[in-house]
Amino acid sequence: MNCHQCQKNCYSIKQKHSWWTRLTKKYRKEPLLAIDGNIALVGTPNVGKSVLFNRLTGNYVTVSNYPGTTVEVSRGIAKIKDYQIRVIDTPGMYSLVPISEEEQVSRDLLLEESLDMVIHVVDAKNLGRMLPLTFQLMEAGLTVILAINMIDEAEQLGLKVEPDALKIELGIPVVVMSAALNRGVRELKQTILQLLSFQPEPDSANVEMVR
Amino acid sequence: MNALSKVQIGQVQTVAQLQTQDITIRRKLMALGITPGSSLVLEQRFPSYVVKVGYTRAALDREIAASIFVR
Amino acid sequence: MTNPIIYPEPIEQAIASLENWLQSIGEQNILRHYSLSPRSLALLLLQKDPTIWQTLKQDDKQQQEVEVLLTVAENQLQYPVDLAIAESREKHARNLAGITIQTTQPAANSTQEILHRLSVNPITGFPILMVILYFGVYKFVGEFGAGELVDRIEGFFEGQINPIVNQIVAQILPWQPLQDLIGNDYGIITLGIRYATAIVLPVVATYFLMFSLLEDSGYLPRMSLMLDRLFKSIGLSGRAVIPMVLGLGCDTMATMVTRTLETKRERLIATFLLSLAVPCAAQWGVILGLLAQKPAALMVWGGLIVAIFLFVGYLSAKFFPGTSGAFYLEIPPLRLPKLGNILTKTWIRMKWYFWEILPLFIWASVLIWLGKLTGLFDLIIRGIEPFAVAIGMPPDTAPIFLYGFFRRDYGAAGLFDIQQQGGLTGNQLVVAAVVLTLFLPCIAQLQIMIKEQGLKTTAIMVAFIVPFAFLIGYCVNLFLNVLGVTL
Repeated sequence: MNCHQCQKNCYSIKQKHSWWTRLTKKYRKEPLLAIDGNIALVGTPNVGKSVLFNRLTGNYVTVSNYPGTTVEVSRGIAKIKDYQIRVIDTPGMYSLVPISEEEQVSRDLLLEESLDMVIHVVDAKNLGRMLPLTFQLMEAGLTVILAINMIDEAEQLGLKVEPDALKIELGIPVVVMSAALNRGVRELKQTILQLLSFQPEPDSANVEMVR
Repeated sequence: MNALSKVQIGQVQTVAQLQTQDITIRRKLMALGITPGSSLVLEQRFPSYVVKVGYTRAALDREIAASIFVR
Repeated sequence: MTNPIIYPEPIEQAIASLENWLQSIGEQNILRHYSLSPRSLALLLLQKDPTIWQTLKQDDKQQQEVEVLLTVAENQLQYPVDLAIAESREKHARNLAGITIQTTQPAANSTQEILHRLSVNPITGFPILMVILYFGVYKFVGEFGAGELVDRIEGFFEGQINPIVNQIVAQILPWQPLQDLIGNDYGIITLGIRYATAIVLPVVATYFLMFSLLEDSGYLPRMSLMLDRLFKSIGLSGRAVIPMVLGLGCDTMATMVTRTLETKRERLIATFLLSLAVPCAAQWGVILGLLAQKPAALMVWGGLIVAIFLFVGYLSAKFFPGTSGAFYLEIPPLRLPKLGNILTKTWIRMKWYFWEILPLFIWASVLIWLGKLTGLFDLIIRGIEPFAVAIGMPPDTAPIFLYGFFRRDYGAAGLFDIQQQGGLTGNQLVVAAVVLTLFLPCIAQLQIMIKEQGLKTTAIMVAFIVPFAFLIGYCVNLFLNVLGVTL
């Protein structure tokens, strides 16, 4: 609840100052912030990366934010506790070998940017055919969190995902969520901090409590 | 083995192979879950082909439908 | 991190050799600046990744060595390596999904299913498409937004704000030209801000609201599916439906979004059609408002623009080499949109749009003021006048074609002003509306076109569009006159 409120506040502040930020955009090279980490959101089109980006950063930068049409990389800052984490939203990609121009953009970003972590956002309804990209990201030596999004829709179809089993099988953190409903976003934030080693890994008892 | 454009509507089909030279289409079909061994149901032909694969639907044009061969 | 997948033996051997080779060449490795693990690099090389191979080509020796390794693996496998890699991954993914997902009986959602069937079935789907366009676009945006709302806000400006501004300006500023900069006919407030908020904003707001509704309900992909065949005949695919519909809101945004189209050819044709024959919401909204009392004139304008869209599309499909892009699209489930999300989206888009246009409107006011002050503006207008007269327009419409270049909608809004003063016949209105619709894209759209397609391509498009717009205007005028039609 607190977290939710905080996000709301951040958002409204952004809104108020946007005309000013816009006017002064040209004269600022970098925000005067110490960045504690760089993370990127990747995944196929239509899995809700941009919605998650908005949830994490409270930033609505995407102009044409409808399915499969993030055409540019957007960057924002997520404030998690006292940490400033740069979040990069990428156009959809199906595999590490790019076919279209959008995919090329995302892949180049993975190749050339120094990232602390990537969050692979997948559609819970179609987990099976999205995992190959997870494997490729892991093979690339990146630190990966698997964010199983749109869980509400999967549940409607009678699907139940077991994140713990998947976590053991893959050996990476797995978060089940619905960004549109703001479900699981808090767990994701915690996992991000843990992976950036700003927070000790909670023991299993704590994990149970969070659920 | 039949092309998807020739099969009956509403029956479960198993994909046998993708006969397309275009690697892009092959990859996109795979991303949609249409791979050799997967099963799908053709739902309609006009104005576009609509198939149900697992829990999702996809629309395809005639040329792509003709390149998907099912058992 | 551990390897999630073990590939078939020949591939693993090839990976191992490539990894060794990458390590052995060490500093000389031209791929070393990529922040990927050696295993990942090896796999990308085996899959003939274009970028990585391009880099590799800088060094003949290294390239040859990789080619040898690849051929060895391919021979052992007797199967394309990239397919084998993809299949191993998919097999493992299916297994994992099988272990970690439980299926129970789905909660029956038959209404959703029925709605989906109705929306994609050709017998019911096309009428549904028509109904949505009629009520969503024509009734809501056209009649409510461009009619009702514009009338009210415009009336408020004319009645309340402009007189006050003019009065204050007259009292505070001693110099007439300075007064004109802020108030009077072309002032920043009385013209620039009035156009932006009273004429453009209501239309754009209602359009974006409708668009967000279509988007969040999941209807847009169904629209693509229904229109794919039609779009194939104009060199596009169903995928281009989304940018085109967005173009009816804002062509600048839509031109950016053509980037989601798969082939260069498709992007080129879409960009061209957007700049020629897809009026943006503010533009067609105002035109709709102007022609609303004359249904026949509205039909002529609408029919003509649709015909030009299809015909020019058909010609460009013939003219540009290549075939239409393949069409495949995931069709998400239909959902009941959440009001909060829709309002947020509409708000974001409007904000983007408003901040995009407001400075331009103000600049336009300043430029017009400067132009008037120096006499340059009159010079340009005198240059346009003969063309305006040639297409049967009164000479005082010449400025609106110049405005039209600042913003598509700016020109249309200018037309609105002249019409308010009661200066145009039905025929003249149709001709002006047609020319303005086809005429140059606005400055913002031109900028994006240059960014996306390059200066040369954009220049060629513009060189076609300007004469074409006037030619069509001339023909329409001639045709109406010869037939003796009075709209």
